Amino acid sequence: MQDPDAHLIRRVAAGDARAGEEIVLRHSARVLRLARRMLGDASEAEDVAQDVFLRVWKNAGAWRAGEALFQTWLHRVTLNACYDRLRRRRETPLPDVGAELADGAETPDEAWFKRQRAQRVREALAQLPERQRAAIALCHFEQASNIEAAAALEVSVDALESLLARGRRALKALLAEMGPDLLGDVGDVRRD
Amino acid sequence: MDAARFEAIVAAYGADVRRWPEAERQAAEWFARTQPEAAALCAEARALDSALDADIDASPADLRLTRRLMASFPRPIPVLRVAAALAACAVIGLTFGYMRAQTLSGDEADAALSAAFGEGLDV
Repeated sequence: MQDPDAHLIRRVAAGDARAGEEIVLRHSARVLRLARRMLGDASEAEDVAQDVFLRVWKNAGAWRAGEALFQTWLHRVTLNACYDRLRRRRETPLPDVGAELADGAETPDEAWFKRQRAQRVREALAQLPERQRAAIALCHFEQASNIEAAAALEVSVDALESLLARGRRALKALLAEMGPDLLGDVGDVRRD
Repeated sequence: MDAARFEAIVAAYGADVRRWPEAERQAAEWFARTQPEAAALCAEARALDSALDADIDASPADLRLTRRLMASFPRPIPVLRVAAALAACAVIGLTFGYMRAQTLSGDEADAALSAAFGEGLDV
């Protein structure tokens, strides 16, 4: 498969700052979202993004097109950086997300309910084992292909599907515990 | 595509066909359209998909972070700039030394040279 980033990485390795900017524009949002999803902390996710791009600059010269898509490698580096941080703070309790909700709780409108639902989803995701969370973050939220996500997680596609299925089962149970309304929307296969 | 595989796909990827494995998507879509048991499986999976979609975040990285990441790109120090800085230092040093030498008597100049290069220097 042709890597759409290969030529940019070669230019980055040659010290082309414009190519570096293009790589940042193409990939930083995804790196940041993945890190936020894994860590549940926006500021820490920004630090991860910074670490990840420093690694890109440092390792661009050693990059070999064809071994893995650059984006797959980027996901892998991001996840590893997140795993390291999660390991370091294993004993630290999760932030009190309820307090954050209270700040925006004055107007009980649709947007508020949407934020509240999103917050519950984040809480449930935070309770999943890291690799299940990473699999769901990649496949559901970033819509990575199964092959790309399996490569980023360094597992087979079968193992990825097992992580996803277990993660989704656990999420369903957690969300059902948090409130029956969270799993209220049902319907047919979506084709849009 | 059989029922077991379809169930495994939906259990892993949910009910949104865009997330189904590309290689099996067509067959799975056919299964979903034609097999009665597919509807219930998809409906259940879609409930979770909808809940998760409440937290879909497609926002781009903010400008401040983008700038911070771009600024982290290693910029090589331009060779010409370094050379120019060194040359400027040399010119200033020589000029200052020459001007200072004009104001010294012969003995003072000897003393200055001895201080700079050592007592043993034969001047």
